[in-house]
Parts: sequence; structure tokens; C-alpha cells
Amino acid sequence: MKVENGFGPVDIAISGLQAQGKQIEIISSNVANARTTNAGNGEPYRRLEATFKTEGDTGGVKLDKILTDTSEFLKVLDPGHPLADEDGYVAMPNVNLPVEMMNLTIATRVYQANTAVLKRYQQMVETTLELLR
Amino acid sequence: MVNINTNISEIQNAMKGILEQKSLQSKNDYSISNLSKSANSDNTKIEFGDTIKAVNNYISNVDNLQTSSDVSIQDLLSGKNEDITSVVSAVAKADLSFKLLIGVRNKIIEAYKQTMNMPL
Repeated sequence: MKVENGFGPVDIAISGLQAQGKQIEIISSNVANARTTNAGNGEPYRRLEATFKTEGDTGGVKLDKILTDTSEFLKVLDPGHPLADEDGYVAMPNVNLPVEMMNLTIATRVYQANTAVLKRYQQMVETTLELLR
Repeated sequence: MVNINTNISEIQNAMKGILEQKSLQSKNDYSISNLSKSANSDNTKIEFGDTIKAVNNYISNVDNLQTSSDVSIQDLLSGKNEDITSVVSAVAKADLSFKLLIGVRNKIIEAYKQTMNMPL
């Protein structure tokens, strides 16, 4: 085992952890801004979506892009709202909380899976080193 | 973490000691080494001393990994770096390579002791 080459699984699992950490960051931004009517450009907040890509030949994962969800804003009937239009509707962010919760569960499970891979690889190396005893 | 570093220098000293003894030995009873050379005339033979030199190189690699894991822990605790996964990665690498070093060292010392206890 060379020092640099024996750590492939470690690096890949860590890249998975980092990618899922980013994903959770983006989900938390979506959840926090679920009722933001002004995202700085006068429009309601647009939901963010992270895409991932494979990192080089090593097989790790890397954050590719953070894209915005282009679907329609949610129209909520609230005639008393200061931002309501003439029909009494307010444009709200296109964040769907149940979907975000689902994505959060997926991201958490993938994170756990990556830690499980890391732990299991360490156990495997230790099992191999047992042979030296 | 400091303990591990002192461990490494201890191992390094132990290896150097073995290496010195080995060279003394080879000076003293060269007839035995001549005998074994005539029995095994090909040049691909790997000397025990070469193995220990290779271990010495590996020790410096392990030491670098230990140092980088120490640095990343200190960066995390001092707030310079907030990414805990890179710390985990550095510590896992240092841990695995150190365990390999310990395994190889134990085996080499065992082999050395067995050779020394051989009745002549």
C-alpha cells in the first residue's frame, strides 16, 4: 500500500461527505427562504438545486453547479398583504416544504452511507494488518 | 498527538539501532555473509538493512501525514478552517498509515529477534 494510493476509498468517501454537506446547506437555504418575498431582485426567492459531477478518474463526487428552479411562483390569496396584486394574490417562493424535507432525508442518508463506507474501509485495512501479527 | 510523534521518533531510533548493529554484525562475521552470497549468487537479493531503510522512508511519509493531521486539527480548533470532513480525512489517513507502520515494525523486530536467537 503506497501512502498516496491506498487512500482512494477514504478520499472518495470524504468527497461524498463534502458534497452532501453542500446539498444540506442548499436545502437549509431553501427551507429558511420558504416565505421570502424579496430575494434582493424584487422577485420572491427561487428554489436552489445542486447538481453533482464525478471528480476526475478517482471516482469521487464534486459539486457541479447550483441552479435555480425555474418553475412558477406559488400564488397565495392574501388581499390584506402589502405586496398583494389587484386580485389579492401574493407571489411566494416556489419552495415546496415536503419536497425539501424529502431531499433532506435523502441527503442525510447518503451522508450516513458515505461515513459507513469510510468506517468499513478502515476496518478492512485493520483486518488486513491483523495478518501481520 | 504529541505522543504519536514521540512514538515515531522512538521507532526511528530503534530502527537506526538495528541498522547499526546489523552493519557491525556484517563486518564481524563476513564469512557467513560470503557463504550465503555464494549460495545465493543472483543480485536481486534484498538485504535486511535495505528493508529497514525502506521503513525509514515510510516513517517520514507517516510523519508528514501525522503533521498534516495535527495542523488540520489546530486549524479547526482555532477557527481557521471550518470544514470538519477534511480533518476527518487527514486523521483517517494518518491513523491507517500509522497502523501499517506499527504492524511492519512489529514484524521486523520479531524477525530480527528470531535471527538473533538462532543458535550458531
